[in-house]
Amino acid sequence: MKKISRRAFLSVMAAAGAAAALTACGGSSGSSTAASGSASVGGSQPGGHKLTAYAWDKNFNIPALNAAAADYKENVDPEFELEVIEQSGAGDVENAITLAGSAHDYSNLPDIVQFQDHYIQRYVSDYPDAFVPMEGADVDWDGFGKEKLSYSIVDGVHYGVPVDNSTVIFAYRTDLLEQVGKTIDDMTGATWADVTKVGEDVYAKTGKYLFSCSGDNGDLIYIMMQSEGVAEFKDGEPYITENETMHRVCETIVDMAKKNVCYLANSWSDYIDQSIQGDMVAGVVQGNWIIPTMEAVTGNSGKWEITTIPKLDGGEGYASNGGSSLYITANCGNVDLAKSFLAYTFGGSTQTYDNALRDGGVVTTVLKCADSDVYNEGIEFFNNEPIYKQIVEMSENVPIIEQSDYHVRAGVYLTTAVINTINGSNLDDELANAEQQLRFEMGL
Amino acid sequence: MKNEKSGSLMAKQRRAGWYYLMPGTVLITIMSFIPIINGFLTSLKTGSSASMKWASPLTYNYTRMFKDALFLRSMGNTFLYLVVEVPIMLILAILLAQLLNNHDLKFKGFFRTCVFLPCATSLVSYSLIFKSLFATDGLVNTVLCKLGILQTHYNFLGNPTSAKIIIILALIWRWTGYNMVFFLAGLQNIDYSVYEAAKIDGANGWQTFWKITVPLLMPTIVMTAIMSINGTLQLFDESVNLTNGGPANATITMSHYIYNNSMGQGVANFGYASALSFVIFVMVAILSFISMKAGDKRD
Amino acid sequence: MTNTAETHALVQREKGKKHMIQRRLIPAYIFLIIISFISVFPLSWMISAATNTSLDVARGKIMFGTYAMQNFKNLIASQNLAGAMGNSFLYAIVQTVISMFVCSLAGFGFELYHDKNKDRLFSILLLAMMVPQVATMVPLFKMMSRAGLLNSVWAFILPSISTPFLIMMFRQNSRNFPNDLMQAARIDGLSETGIFFRMYVPIMKSTYAAAAVITFMNAWNAYMWPKVVMTDNRAQTMPMLIANIASGYSIDYGMLMMGVLFCSIPTMIVFFVLQKQFAEGITGAVK
Repeated sequence: MKKISRRAFLSVMAAAGAAAALTACGGSSGSSTAASGSASVGGSQPGGHKLTAYAWDKNFNIPALNAAAADYKENVDPEFELEVIEQSGAGDVENAITLAGSAHDYSNLPDIVQFQDHYIQRYVSDYPDAFVPMEGADVDWDGFGKEKLSYSIVDGVHYGVPVDNSTVIFAYRTDLLEQVGKTIDDMTGATWADVTKVGEDVYAKTGKYLFSCSGDNGDLIYIMMQSEGVAEFKDGEPYITENETMHRVCETIVDMAKKNVCYLANSWSDYIDQSIQGDMVAGVVQGNWIIPTMEAVTGNSGKWEITTIPKLDGGEGYASNGGSSLYITANCGNVDLAKSFLAYTFGGSTQTYDNALRDGGVVTTVLKCADSDVYNEGIEFFNNEPIYKQIVEMSENVPIIEQSDYHVRAGVYLTTAVINTINGSNLDDELANAEQQLRFEMGL
Repeated sequence: MKNEKSGSLMAKQRRAGWYYLMPGTVLITIMSFIPIINGFLTSLKTGSSASMKWASPLTYNYTRMFKDALFLRSMGNTFLYLVVEVPIMLILAILLAQLLNNHDLKFKGFFRTCVFLPCATSLVSYSLIFKSLFATDGLVNTVLCKLGILQTHYNFLGNPTSAKIIIILALIWRWTGYNMVFFLAGLQNIDYSVYEAAKIDGANGWQTFWKITVPLLMPTIVMTAIMSINGTLQLFDESVNLTNGGPANATITMSHYIYNNSMGQGVANFGYASALSFVIFVMVAILSFISMKAGDKRD
Repeated sequence: MTNTAETHALVQREKGKKHMIQRRLIPAYIFLIIISFISVFPLSWMISAATNTSLDVARGKIMFGTYAMQNFKNLIASQNLAGAMGNSFLYAIVQTVISMFVCSLAGFGFELYHDKNKDRLFSILLLAMMVPQVATMVPLFKMMSRAGLLNSVWAFILPSISTPFLIMMFRQNSRNFPNDLMQAARIDGLSETGIFFRMYVPIMKSTYAAAAVITFMNAWNAYMWPKVVMTDNRAQTMPMLIANIASGYSIDYGMLMMGVLFCSIPTMIVFFVLQKQFAEGITGAVK
């Protein structure tokens, strides 16, 4: 009987071994799994030629990174290799950083990450050791658009290299404008009230909305606010109920939605697939990264043109929405290579930016790179106008306004306020709610 | 002598039992209990996710949530889904199981497979499918318009009420078959002659259902009810993937709100998020306990 | 005993099948056909969508198209389909095998050696079922990071190997396990280990089948947690691959649906193959 129990014991130990062994051989378990190789994802080693990077769109920023890698390989380091680890969205990258930062374990991060511009300030203050500053890199910082660059400077230190220019364009279908007797020039420098009138005519005449916006984020509100030069934050606190411009912007959106000038899509896919690609609109107001999406509707080629954003009291408005930058993480084993790579390519290489534009529609923020032939080409889809050159020129005029890491949340609550107002609530009450919720979340 | 020996034998066997259940128990302790205790400790702290400090007062995050209009709304939404969806789904599942348990029915395997299939679909695909079906230009709109039920295309996911209904429909679609399998299994354990006898006694289908099926199925009902309550209170995927909580946060669930507070949208408020999670945990435990007591009358 | 009764019932049922469809059951058939249609329709739409162009899919076309091959080519050109399928299979199978072993052992221990303390422990374990996933994600991540397990298969599967639900299933089903047979085996000199491997495992095979179906489906479809701990390109699973296709500013829906189709096939096959055992296994679960 003793024998039995001992054998039972041994077998149980074997079973428990499953659990124990997991911890024991976990670190080196690579050999038995597909996740083999180094325990950390940061692919680089000192003196090596390989870097890894996170990016999230096969049709947008991934081709841009590949273009840069090809450029660097061709002109600097023939053995250079960049492995892009595809993510399903900017949110994935941001989650990875948040988790790594809160666990004080950056081993899960690649050498280079790309994420949206609103977050770096918060990340550097929360996780001071998570990113390697770009100090000492050979970059001509004055070459970048100022507004874009302002995001990635924390306390005077450069942390990132801007990739995409997110300057907002207002694109119109000139053929539809023509039907109501308007041209693109009439729309340039107009007031929102003028635009609303044109929109009503367009809807009456063609059945199309003048433009659309996604109801689950605050893009439109932010764009309109920034072109007025006013932020939704002031001195680190929400600036909503006391903000006259905010009231006027929201009233304008409510008015436009009620008059079928602006189609309020209920989600991002509704915005992209239905309103833009489903040919429901005569215009698009969004960061210029929306262009490839518009170009998918090939039937409308040649009918589009772009201009600046209207303002409440008239004049040309400029804004920037949804851009991102590249940052070197603390997990990077070859900081020199990463810095050199970023500085050479996105720091101002015409070859990188030309190919990034051609392959992924990524527009540069380096002003001199817009002088290239590629940038000065007329784009057939946009009536043979050299729109990319125009966009880079527009980006110089974008006003710098206060940013906050609660930017996304502010957008959600403000849009909620607008939607509720459209459905019959009082705007003042709704804005007060939004401010209260936001202050609550910020712990104020 | 003999007694003593078998006594020690019993002790040995009992010990063997402990060894057997140890790996599973240890894993659950490490992977579930330690994190939730950790989470509870975090819920008493505030500050940025990298350097958290004890809150003062300690209950700060807990008292805070009752002033949080959005959390209260997410709780309201979640309970609405619970109260509407779980009963409909369970009744439908029992009904289907009852039908499929009929010995005279043909093609049972076929029907059972069809009804079960939805829960074998991956989450990503099922949310995509529902989103496309109910899109403004989607199939449902097209069909309803052609049939003349709708005049113009309706923005199903853009209206708070219809968006909630779609979430509920999606849940029912996905999980009814899964629950049905449990009921079917439970029914197959009931001796068919009980039904024959009831029929002879002149009981109609309705009476048979309430007087025989439901009481005999009680343990299964309790089990599925607990699973469904648990699943619904932790509802996350549908809210994120189908509506992203919208329009205007009208469909957001508690878990989704917690996620937004901990990882989503650039906010890493772990203290508050942990407090919210712990509240869900306690709520699920209480509700499960109640349903267990309500249904468990046999012991 | 039960076996003969069951065979008897089966024979009865077989006889029943020879009869024509009964009239009074027609409403039942109609109801079931409608429900089956609703259940299957979205899936058939998924299949037809995989054969159409992105624009057709977005416009809600129901009919089958001729674009399947192109969608498939696009898919393998832009994504590492084989790699993701391989990983998903590997993780799901590893998790299923280990999970079966650990949970059945625990269920076996809890039921066949049960006493008051073990029962008490079991009801505590059930509490773990109620822990929300969002709540444990951050602490678990920190734990895995400290253990140095990030980016290893263990980080993926460890949290889901032992689940109260599976243990409960095995524990309940073990009630049918013939106790006298176990005593007889002991008298014959079979060890406790032997009892588990030579008697328990074969007798409980339908429970194993049911548990395997559930575990495999959960492991295959897992997304959030794997995404967080597995950041290596080579570790990509099918749900991650699909999420990547579904992201971006413009989505190729035809290709996406082709991916979704590939992601759905394995779980369906597993269910089809183990369907009968699944039903039987669940049967035991609620006795």
